[in-house]
Amino acid sequence: MEKQMSGQRLKRELGLLHATMMGIGGAICAGVFVTLGYAATLAGTALIIAMVFCGIINLFTMLSYAELGAALPSAGGEYTFAKASFGGFFSFATGWFEWISNMFYAAFSAVGFAYLMSYVIPAINVPIIAIITIAIFAAINVKGMKETGITQTVLVLVLLALLGVFIAIGLFTNRALGTFELSAPGGFLGVFRASAFIFVVYLGGEAIAVAQAEIKDPGKTIPKAIILTCLILILVYTLIAYVVFRIVSPESLSGQASPLAYVAKQFMGEIGVGIITVAGIIAAFSSVNTSIMAQSRVAYALARDGYFPKSFFNLHRRYFTPYIAVLVGSIFVAAFAATGVVNFVTYATDFGFIIGFIFVNLSLIKLRRDKPSLIRPFKVPLYPLTPILGIVTSLLLIFFLEPGTLVIGAELFLFGLLIYYIRMVGYHRLCLAMGGMNLGVSAFSALFAYLIMSTPSTITSSSGTTFLLFALASLVSVTCLIAGVLNITVHSSGD
Amino acid sequence: MSSIRTFIARLVGGVQCLLGAATSTFAYLVYASQSIRESLSIANEESFLIVFLLVIFGAFSILSGMVLIREED
Repeated sequence: MEKQMSGQRLKRELGLLHATMMGIGGAICAGVFVTLGYAATLAGTALIIAMVFCGIINLFTMLSYAELGAALPSAGGEYTFAKASFGGFFSFATGWFEWISNMFYAAFSAVGFAYLMSYVIPAINVPIIAIITIAIFAAINVKGMKETGITQTVLVLVLLALLGVFIAIGLFTNRALGTFELSAPGGFLGVFRASAFIFVVYLGGEAIAVAQAEIKDPGKTIPKAIILTCLILILVYTLIAYVVFRIVSPESLSGQASPLAYVAKQFMGEIGVGIITVAGIIAAFSSVNTSIMAQSRVAYALARDGYFPKSFFNLHRRYFTPYIAVLVGSIFVAAFAATGVVNFVTYATDFGFIIGFIFVNLSLIKLRRDKPSLIRPFKVPLYPLTPILGIVTSLLLIFFLEPGTLVIGAELFLFGLLIYYIRMVGYHRLCLAMGGMNLGVSAFSALFAYLIMSTPSTITSSSGTTFLLFALASLVSVTCLIAGVLNITVHSSGD
Repeated sequence: MSSIRTFIARLVGGVQCLLGAATSTFAYLVYASQSIRESLSIANEESFLIVFLLVIFGAFSILSGMVLIREED
């Protein structure tokens, strides 16, 4: 019904305040309310150093975002940068990881919000609340970027005010432990491990770059908003960590489900718990809003370049938003949230965002070399040291991730490769490739069926299970054999 | 001759799609359910690899099935 009209574009409606709030809201998620406890056991009170260290690591890459965002202010963020610098599969992979990471992040935040609500109202159904939350923010995102920006600004200002109350009272309360002393029981390695663990609290600020096609005066606003976001995050997180260790010892945080709520209870009582719970709910809310917006803009950019279906590139006639990209992405987000695979989506989110960081820094270096005359309203200081440090620190963070994260990352990469291949190759070449793979699977299944019947005891002790496995392997083998022959002969029969 | 080929392609494609959907569902069950992993004697360390292989096979099977069902004349 709604058709893409010629000349229709995303509207530039976000000013500096809205863009900065988009970045802060994307980064401050429910994670900060739960990760401090374990991080404190790793680094002790030196967690404050880890917080500043993470902020500086984040700043290295965010400066690259600022330069590229100001120079190439069209929708898509990292994908657009990689497209301009490398193109081909490299740019598609960047966009692919960015798209799925934002969808997973939205699902994670929606489920986090629903869990926090369930502490307040125990009778509620977590998946249903998560889906309702996603539906509300999908509607806001369809309505318009201005509405999305205003919603985000209000949410983040309230969130910062609540955290400000926690920090202000915590700094001056007389219920503190006494003199604050810096200690690192795990030494330098402990501080580094804590840094890798808590780095997730800085992720999400790059939402500014994703929405760059809708930011007014992008040459000035994008760098300012990104740098402001980074500095505010460092300040807020460091002050929170300082207040925490002023009130309680690092050891007492171990095993606390919500360390911030526990600390708030020590000096503000039940009111403190309420403030932190509401802040957590708002943080999760604003993360859902930002990530639904971000995934839709990436899908929009991928559709613009032919990687995703063209319908994702359609703008709503009245609201000028990529409503199909918003709605389809939100359906995926709701499906992820409803299945409750929170661990999976957390792993995938971390991996995708860190891969995005590496690609952005590589894109900056490539563009500086290949397009020196490109107009850059903002330039990364200390080039090439800054982007190289961004790449090195991101690689180190991947090294410290859980092994399961890397496996899931590899799976997502293979899916991306498959989709790219399908979109890029011609139909007949695709059929030939599928035919070859089908014949390979057929041969493997036939061998498996033979092994089951020749040495049944090594696979299963039950004769019924042996027969079932044999029948299944034979079915797969025969099906794939016929499919392979049909695939391979499609060209000659088609002509 | 062509109609027989189309019929077989759609039939085999449909079977492949069903096999892919069943494998993907099974992969999710192995991932999500501890009791299923225990009953199949799958160690937690191996579960990621098993799920990975099942998902790859499931996706391939669905894709191959769809290519056959939508075979161009």
